[in-house]
Amino acid sequence: MNRIGFTSLKLVLLVLFALAALFFGVAVGSVSIPFSQICSIVVHKLFDTPLPESITGVTPDLVWNIRLPRVLLAFIVGAALSVCGAVMQSMLQNPLASSYGLGVSSGAGVAVALCMVFGLSQSSWSNWLMPLICLGAALCTILLVMTLSQRIDPSLSNQTIILVGMVLSLFLSACMSTLATSSPDHSQRILSWQLGSFSMKSWSQVVPLAPVVLVGSLLLWRFGRELDLLSFGDESATTLGLSTKRFKWMLLFLISLLTGASVAFVGIIGFVDLVTPHIVRRFLGPSHRLLIPGCVLFGGGFMVCCDLAARTLTSPSEIPIGSITALLGAPFFLYLFLASRNKGQQM
Amino acid sequence: MFSVHKLSCGYRPGHPIVKNASFQLEEGQMLCILGANGCGKSTLLKALCALLPHTGSIRLNDTDLSSLNQRELARNIALLGQQSSLSFDYTVEQTVRMGRYAHQGGGFFANSNPSEDNQLVEQALQHTGLSDLRHRPITQLSGGQLQRVFLARVFAQNPRIILLDEPTNHLDLQYQLELMEYLRSWLTQPGRYVVGVLHDINLALRYADSLLLMQDGNILCQSPRQQLDMKQLNNLYHLDVVEYMQELLRIWQKP
Repeated sequence: MNRIGFTSLKLVLLVLFALAALFFGVAVGSVSIPFSQICSIVVHKLFDTPLPESITGVTPDLVWNIRLPRVLLAFIVGAALSVCGAVMQSMLQNPLASSYGLGVSSGAGVAVALCMVFGLSQSSWSNWLMPLICLGAALCTILLVMTLSQRIDPSLSNQTIILVGMVLSLFLSACMSTLATSSPDHSQRILSWQLGSFSMKSWSQVVPLAPVVLVGSLLLWRFGRELDLLSFGDESATTLGLSTKRFKWMLLFLISLLTGASVAFVGIIGFVDLVTPHIVRRFLGPSHRLLIPGCVLFGGGFMVCCDLAARTLTSPSEIPIGSITALLGAPFFLYLFLASRNKGQQM
Repeated sequence: MFSVHKLSCGYRPGHPIVKNASFQLEEGQMLCILGANGCGKSTLLKALCALLPHTGSIRLNDTDLSSLNQRELARNIALLGQQSSLSFDYTVEQTVRMGRYAHQGGGFFANSNPSEDNQLVEQALQHTGLSDLRHRPITQLSGGQLQRVFLARVFAQNPRIILLDEPTNHLDLQYQLELMEYLRSWLTQPGRYVVGVLHDINLALRYADSLLLMQDGNILCQSPRQQLDMKQLNNLYHLDVVEYMQELLRIWQKP
């Protein structure tokens, strides 16, 4: 098989993985629901066709109003974070960069915590207001990282950016913990927010997030070739014809948008943005024209699987999703690192 | 004609590294910049391709290159720099193909003239001896092979002016000579120029048409290869260059 055929096959496998994850996400839980019933309920809701008589009780409600929005939200957030991770790593030419590590998630998290403390998160328009506040907070965090880095190191080297980002990320996490302990009424919610959760989510979260992530990912996909150039460093990209500075600002805005909107709805989830781009790169190669759709499919599917594990492993109680991604992600990452070292490859 | 007039540039405002540099180059010629470490050779090359802010003018015939946008500039000038970040394992061919970016449109269907792109990429791979390595990840290459990949990318870029910052670094003798010969044949097409920083004075004297001597950010002189002032060259390196070269030759002549 030639290379194009082989790549197409890999993409088809990723699509199948994503679809299987979505299906199992809806089907598996306290009550198992067969595939045919899920299809009937979805078709019934979308096209208003009559439901088969075999489907009774709470099943339609369970599928349409509880599991499907939850699974879709997990998929969208997983896709958004993975794409952000891939872009961040290319932009900084550092395989260890991530929006979580650079403090973007924590910045948005502090904004959410403040909203909770001041009661903004309970208002009826919070589903639209919160993402906007988080976008602003994420952008401010990135601006702060860049300004501080430039003060320390005028050449704005990527190592400085990553170091400043790490320091700021830890500082903001500490701010969040302080906020949590100083306001006992909200401490439980803030703490659970710090590890992310997809429980109690409905269509009202999916509907605003989906278009944001779709448009953001499509834009980043469209700039795939530019991202390839940027992976070789700013100087190299500039001499090849890219207006590097302007392009980087646009990337920072899109990353803030995707990360901020995700954090606004589900809290801070680490590791996905760090690990999934590596896995997809090994599978599809580093070219962003494939990497970005690959991250959407694999990152989304991976997050649905993690959420499935989070709600079924210790049922009826739930493990925070951030713990699951780290529990699965950390050993897997270590395995990848060691495997590539043994082969003498770079990660 | 490619001409640079009173160009000053540096990394911090108010602290110029290169001061009032002026030189010019005729079509089809190769200019080599010689000078001790840290005299501003690489900085000058960076300013020529807009990597550094500068004052003064850079002109190609009637065009002021400073007024072009980045993409237009990249169609005119390509730089082989000293280092490039290698964090991800793109293949050799993918890397060389990136040289075509400035000639393609933006967006999803960017490949406006695929046959020209393919032809130039193929030529670049062949001339740098990389055809057999095209599917190899660049992270698995040796220093010399990597240098050839980035050279091939410069050739694929098909600019009018090629800037080379120590292009023979990491290359073995055979590839050094092949590269210089290829650059000479590349220059035979109309409207092309090469400006290179070379540490190998022998290569510079053998292949360059014109030599530019630099010291502490200033240009000492620009002279045709045949009329190089040896006194100034000796001053540049603080040694008698001819004597040193003859001493090297005597090592070879000993039985």
